Amino acid sequence: MTSSVEAGVVGARRVRARGEALLDPGSGEWSRAQEVAIPLVPTPLDRQPSAYVQVAWADRPRGDIREVGVAALVNAGTLAVRLAWSAARPNRFISDVNVHPDACAVLFPANGSGFEYDSMGSPSRPVNGWHWRAGTEEPFAITATGIGTVARATEHDVKAAARWSDGVWQVVLARALAAEGVPLSHDMTVPVAFAIWSGAAGERAGLKSYSPRPHELRID
Amino acid sequence: MASTQSPQHQFAMVFDLNKCLGCQTCTVACKTQWTRGTGMEAMWWNIVNTMPGRGTPRDAFELGGGYRDGEPVPGRLPGRADWGEAWDFDYDEAFSPSSESSYLRPREHDGSAPRWGPNWDEDVGGGTYPNSYFFYLPLLCMNCTKPACLEACPRDSIYRREEDGIILVDEERCHGYRFCLEACPYKRIYFNEQRAIAQKCISCYPRLEAGVAPACVRQCPGRVRHVGHLDDPDSHIHKLVKKWKVALPLRPDFEVEPNVFYIPPTMPTAFDENGEFDEEASRIPLKDLRKWFGPGVDHALATIEAEREKVAGGGQSELMDLLISRNWQELLGPYTEDPGELPTPRRQ
Repeated sequence: MTSSVEAGVVGARRVRARGEALLDPGSGEWSRAQEVAIPLVPTPLDRQPSAYVQVAWADRPRGDIREVGVAALVNAGTLAVRLAWSAARPNRFISDVNVHPDACAVLFPANGSGFEYDSMGSPSRPVNGWHWRAGTEEPFAITATGIGTVARATEHDVKAAARWSDGVWQVVLARALAAEGVPLSHDMTVPVAFAIWSGAAGERAGLKSYSPRPHELRID
Repeated sequence: MASTQSPQHQFAMVFDLNKCLGCQTCTVACKTQWTRGTGMEAMWWNIVNTMPGRGTPRDAFELGGGYRDGEPVPGRLPGRADWGEAWDFDYDEAFSPSSESSYLRPREHDGSAPRWGPNWDEDVGGGTYPNSYFFYLPLLCMNCTKPACLEACPRDSIYRREEDGIILVDEERCHGYRFCLEACPYKRIYFNEQRAIAQKCISCYPRLEAGVAPACVRQCPGRVRHVGHLDDPDSHIHKLVKKWKVALPLRPDFEVEPNVFYIPPTMPTAFDENGEFDEEASRIPLKDLRKWFGPGVDHALATIEAEREKVAGGGQSELMDLLISRNWQELLGPYTEDPGELPTPRRQ
């Protein structure tokens, strides 16, 4: 493990808080978490799985958001990850045909190891994620086996809560440790990656900012 | 992203612009059949615009999309102000008027008077009196052979049916990214804001599968619409497109190879400065017709004119018989089943 990776490690401190408190981005419980600044970069244009997108975005700025603050907490049964990023002009919902919502996601290797985060997984190494989209009450639990293959689970246990104030989004994504999806438990470390979509910049699908290397999430 | 295989047959339509009344019966037939669901209030999968005009959405053909020299052309995503909203109407005021000037007043969702809508510039047209002109242009999904929408979707949510080449959106796969709306040069894909998915004309495929013509075709009182398979040499479609070459693609410069074809509008000759017919001049500028329908328009108009003359002189013309379609069921190609004779489908 390199020191740079160490610097990007997110620790999920164990707390006694109720699940509702973990899910509240403004809860005082979050003052007990250590927020880690994760640098983000635009997704490579040549990986966009559509010739149209590659041409249409060749001269457009991509990857509007260049840093996300990540914190995590865990109680007896639930892991919560809070993402925070600056958004001076938030797109809080799909308010028009030509408005794209802000969004964020946390991505894991579906089996807990062998993380092909850069290609959104592969058939032998799928990825599992939690995807929040502004204006949508329920987050999506996703799996993917490659770019352009994201599938949403019809039933899942992922929850989300978001708030925007003073130019900053704070979004908490949480899941019961024992629920379906990436295996999670106390006293384990799981690889993780992050992505942010800036709706105001027209970002959606593969057009986003993402953490260009895997990080570690250490669950107490 | 997806490749497009050649289908077994190619479903296609021909619209005779010399017969279109602009009555929007097709538009309402489609609305009644398909777009009454959640988030579909402002959708008009079929629309009839006045040409020349700005279209639906506003400046539809100027928003990019399609291809140029085989390369995708970036498109702009029109907003609700360009598409037009589903208006509310003050029925109480109309039925119990407070003054003699009361009328059934349309209102946008914020209560303001509408400033744009589908076919907003109806009958405005072009030219200068006495050489003013317009014609009606029905529009729906063109089921393109080179569908820019399908190729733009990063999720393979749009596919081309193997049996008949109809282009459909898989609503389960669609995540509402709207690249397809940008890429369609005809802007015939709508976005359902409530469901966050793209939706468009489905060519009434459930009707086709029961042998019934699309609602817009069957209900057209002007006998404007022919349907069938482009690859069937006995079909009206094949004869009008391939044999007589009088049915032309709209804006072929978009390079998407649409499978809806148009009989271009013929018009009375222009007036000269003395108010006399100028037999050499076209009331609709030929350069505009060539832009809309491609270089084949000169041949098409000359052929129609010659065949009309032939019939006017007492002769026979297969082309005129095709265009007139005295037996309206001939318009329907293989889809002649009467929906009234079929068992009522169970609503899901």
